[in-house]
Amino acid sequence: MIKRLLAVVPVVFGVVLLTFLLVHLVPGDPVEVMLGESSPMADRAKLRAELGLDQPLPVQFGQYLKALAQGDFGRSIHTRKPIAQSLKERIPATASLALVSLLIAVMIGLPLGIVAALRAGRWPDSLATILSLSLSAMPHFWLGPLLMLMFGLWLGLLPVSGMGNSLSILLPAMTLGLGLAAILTRMTRASLLEVLHEDFVRTARAKGIEEQQVILRHALRAALLPIVTVLGLQLGGLLAGAVITETVFSWEGVGRLLVESIEKRDYPVTQACVLVIALTYVMVNLMTDLLYSRLDPRIRFAK
Amino acid sequence: MARLAVLATIAVAMLVLLDACSRTGSHDDIRSAVSQLPQTLDPRYATDAASARVNRLLYRSLVDFDEHYMPKAAIASWRVLSPRLFRFTLGSEGRHFHDGRYLTAEDVAATYQSVKELPDSPHAAEFANINKIEVRDENTLDFFLQDADSNFPSRLVLGILPAELIARQHDFSQEPVGSGPLKFVSWHRELKLERLDDHQRFSFEEIRDPTVRVLKLVRGETDMLQGDLPPELVNYLKKQPVINVIESTGTNFAYLGLNFADPQLQNPLVRQALAHAIDREAIIKHALVGSSRLAETILPPEHWAGNPDLAAHAYNPVAARELLKQAGIKLPLKLVYKTSTDAQRVRLATMMQAQMQQAGFELEIRSLDWGTFFEDIKRGNFQLYGLMWVGIKTPEIYHQAFHSTSIPPMGANRGRYVDRQVDELITVSDWKNVASRLHEQLPYIPLWYEGQFVAVRKHIVGYVLQPDGNWDGLAKVKRNKFKSVFPGRNAL
Repeated sequence: MIKRLLAVVPVVFGVVLLTFLLVHLVPGDPVEVMLGESSPMADRAKLRAELGLDQPLPVQFGQYLKALAQGDFGRSIHTRKPIAQSLKERIPATASLALVSLLIAVMIGLPLGIVAALRAGRWPDSLATILSLSLSAMPHFWLGPLLMLMFGLWLGLLPVSGMGNSLSILLPAMTLGLGLAAILTRMTRASLLEVLHEDFVRTARAKGIEEQQVILRHALRAALLPIVTVLGLQLGGLLAGAVITETVFSWEGVGRLLVESIEKRDYPVTQACVLVIALTYVMVNLMTDLLYSRLDPRIRFAK
Repeated sequence: MARLAVLATIAVAMLVLLDACSRTGSHDDIRSAVSQLPQTLDPRYATDAASARVNRLLYRSLVDFDEHYMPKAAIASWRVLSPRLFRFTLGSEGRHFHDGRYLTAEDVAATYQSVKELPDSPHAAEFANINKIEVRDENTLDFFLQDADSNFPSRLVLGILPAELIARQHDFSQEPVGSGPLKFVSWHRELKLERLDDHQRFSFEEIRDPTVRVLKLVRGETDMLQGDLPPELVNYLKKQPVINVIESTGTNFAYLGLNFADPQLQNPLVRQALAHAIDREAIIKHALVGSSRLAETILPPEHWAGNPDLAAHAYNPVAARELLKQAGIKLPLKLVYKTSTDAQRVRLATMMQAQMQQAGFELEIRSLDWGTFFEDIKRGNFQLYGLMWVGIKTPEIYHQAFHSTSIPPMGANRGRYVDRQVDELITVSDWKNVASRLHEQLPYIPLWYEGQFVAVRKHIVGYVLQPDGNWDGLAKVKRNKFKSVFPGRNAL
């Protein structure tokens, strides 16, 4: 456990170094972005010195690390607001969207997968397969507007986009969740089918336990490991900001912040976003690993 | 499991009910969905179109433009005392800042002084020519220039800020204080403004996706959309019973930029062939919003410095081929055309590609993300590119775009065009002849002025479109009291 936690440190340092280098070595000049095309050279040199951009790279990296340690991500070139503040506004939005879509995915994917596994080869299975295949084949930029048309305009139930009221989260979460549910259905079906033929399931049935209990408590629990892996990876992706969905639904999350900053060449913001996203991945992976050992005693005791 | 599902269903149902209740409460704001919110509400830093448009409503400037784009008095009139000395006298209109302060000559002086001194203001260079500003009394001030500049008044379109707040380094970008017809209320995701006359509130929401903006308007989640939609969505909106679409001619100039560092494009015959290779009329008719019109030069014919006598280069692929052959070029001539990733721009590029093929050109389209695209253009790393000049008011643009001293980073002569005659004509401000010389020489292939349009829900009345697409109409627009009984539902 301690070893796994310590292993995170070099990864995080690598991530910080890489994002710093990426942003500083890419061609393009933040000073030019700030001052526009036709500013005199003298003004540029002055501003560059003020921003510390004339220092050698290792010195700049040291200053960057020092500021980062104090939670200071720098300031946006365009809005001139501290980046930490925009991140503080954006991260909860992305996190809540990720969690709700995950919830939708689990609520649809798990039952559908179980049904498909229990009725393998019969019509409920084929129906679930067709459904999950078509859902996972729909790109988000298309499914999003389609859901808007259905729920926003035709049924008039949900707001088309925005973050104005508590229901606005449902459409973007469905856009993300439906695709995820499709993968989850396939995963659950496959992994449950494998487990259903194991001896311990037969034993449980032989002991006379109710069928529902056999499936939910014995079989599903054993089948959970691959499902958790997939969920962990997907959650990492969701927390990193579902770029397209956030843009389509005007959801003010980290993904949209990243895209906007790239479009506007707002280097410090890009750097901060990439860092946050990379760290999120590292954290979610760590948590998945830790959850593994809780779920599967074999992993816990292997050490 | 089953119990959980029931609970979840009840929770969702309650949310729906709650929302239905909240939606029947009246929105009295006039809501706009825009493709981009302002970057900053501090006019000293603003460079993007949205910031400029909102700042025009929040602040007042010394000078504005009349319908022929001649500078006219806004809060101040002026006299030229000498080629290097301009005296401005403040009038009685628009003299109250939103925080109750009275706008005086001191505020004007402080605003321009601070722009000059800010190290990171993109406008600092524009006002570097101001040598000294002297306040004579509450209503009068003198600008002393380093070099004579007859166009000086037309530069003074910057919003005036209160001197006391400038001294205190107030953050105008987030909490603007001006003296314009609208005042700032709040900016948390949505930007909210309030009209001083009648306390009508306005809100602006940023919706990047054009389809989503249209769906929101149709469903009644927003009240108006202006510009930034592809023509098929405008046509869809025209068919909606609850929506009014108003169109008018515009002045934003679309063009193809040519690189004079390219040996083939240096040949005037090749440039003429290009001008004859594009069927602009067909593109305007089929692929642009209504009220778009042919353009021959940057300034429109109704501009005081415009030139209405330029004859269009007609679409003639046969003549274009002939010209290319005369130039001794083996057909087809391969050219690379750079554009942004915007769907409409790419579509226009493919139309031109097809038309130009008949004229002996093989056009390769490279669609690049905006940052890379613009960087390439500035560095001269292109053969052809497509862009648009937005909100141009003064003939100064010819100096910026075509003078031999304006090659980036000094200006916007991105095609590295150098012509002695144009330089001389610009120096003596003979704008009509500058335009005709450029029309002959073709450093740009002129395309069209894009039409302006606004789509509003039927209860929004009295919005007047401006040719450059600014939002000044908000100072007068009204919300009709009679609302539809079912605001959310519409037949598709």
